[in-house]
Amino acid sequence: MQGVCVVLRSHAPLWAALSQPCPASGPLLEVLGETMKLNQRSVAHYAMSDSPADHTGFLRTWGGPGTPPTPSGTGRRCWFVLKGNLLFSFESREGRAPLSLVVLEGCTVELAEAPVPEEFAFAIRFDAPGVRPHLLAADGPAAQEAWVKALSRASFGYMRLVVRELESQLQEARQSLVLHRHSTWKATAGRCKPPAPDRWSPGLENGHSLSRDCSPMGLVEEGGSRPAGRGWAEWELQGPASLLLGRGQSPVSPETSCFSTLHNWYGQEIVELRHRWQQRAQCSQPECEKQDRP
Amino acid sequence: MRYNEKELQALSRQPAEMAAELGMRGPKKGSVVKRRLVKLVVNFLFYFRTDEAEGGAPGVPGPRGGGPAGSALTALSPQPVGALLLERCRVAQEEPSGFSISFLEDPERKYHFECCSEGQCREWVDALRGASYEFMRRSLVFYRSEIQKMTGKDPLEQFGISEEARFQLSGLKA
Repeated sequence: MQGVCVVLRSHAPLWAALSQPCPASGPLLEVLGETMKLNQRSVAHYAMSDSPADHTGFLRTWGGPGTPPTPSGTGRRCWFVLKGNLLFSFESREGRAPLSLVVLEGCTVELAEAPVPEEFAFAIRFDAPGVRPHLLAADGPAAQEAWVKALSRASFGYMRLVVRELESQLQEARQSLVLHRHSTWKATAGRCKPPAPDRWSPGLENGHSLSRDCSPMGLVEEGGSRPAGRGWAEWELQGPASLLLGRGQSPVSPETSCFSTLHNWYGQEIVELRHRWQQRAQCSQPECEKQDRP
Repeated sequence: MRYNEKELQALSRQPAEMAAELGMRGPKKGSVVKRRLVKLVVNFLFYFRTDEAEGGAPGVPGPRGGGPAGSALTALSPQPVGALLLERCRVAQEEPSGFSISFLEDPERKYHFECCSEGQCREWVDALRGASYEFMRRSLVFYRSEIQKMTGKDPLEQFGISEEARFQLSGLKA
């Protein structure tokens, strides 16, 4: 078991005042200034919505209205729902509105000691100074482990990392599949051989003009300003992969026939490129020889 | 609903995806446009006062996001006026260079924002549309399914997270 939640003790009087729930108004908060606004109704709707939760279960919790700043006793048993990077608590599974919200950003989750011995406790500790840790306890070791894991992976940044990793894996998979297909593809006219793989990449990468020509396919408009620091598929993937996640096609529905779309798009591009090669072949012999390479 | 303001305040100080001074008008009838430093951090949109007399606002990192930067960092690092959680929200372009944010449960109740150009507005709309956890989840589930179809392998297995609830196909909401 790791450290105890001792951080509260040294600031007991201050914590006593600040441990009251937000955003209740009161003399102390008037002194400190306006409470921060939050679209609470929407947050509650999100908590109650039918989007599947990432983890749920009963946990004992310390802290809350009327409780002492230092965790003591057995805590209060609440139904907890983890959705994305937000941890909600309810009075019961049938709770009509969340009791509390913890935003799981900039925090670490560790095993902890509970005020009552043999509780399966863990704490959510925040990196920022002055932000009070949350002490929670599960009913058993398996639940404790499951919660610690689920909460540790709850941050937005973690999800974004995994998304980006899969984005690049998907792009690789698509490119290698396309190259494989074209090495065996017979051109629609039946006579010209498909280009060598090394001729494909340049064609696709500087395919700005090609992309714009194919607007009915709902392609991403390349160029223009893009927000810095964003890793969304629509903006980072170059070439054909970006088509499928452009504004016309959304990753929301996996039924999007991305593969047949990709297939068709390449079909069009092959026909166009073949025309160009044929034109160039008429002008210069060496180019024609290159075309004959499988 | 109880929440710790300090958690959100700390989050509001984290590096932002987008930050700019915009005009902002609340959803209530008769509300007026106020200049606010608007900052997108993960799935929250924070808004700060920009008037120095009122306490200033944390500096905007570089010219990113367009428009004049907020006033310089003050010693007290003032707190946001408010935050909007961006889950289940709808971002719509309004007039030539503005946009609105509304929420599924009450689509008529809109927070309005005014940008200084159509380009800036476009950036914000795109950024905000992709800024929800649920959007990322859907993207991930889609990529996972596509990779599996193409390669026959589950890309999450190598990370040991293939059984996590948050990555399941059942997480896709209509």
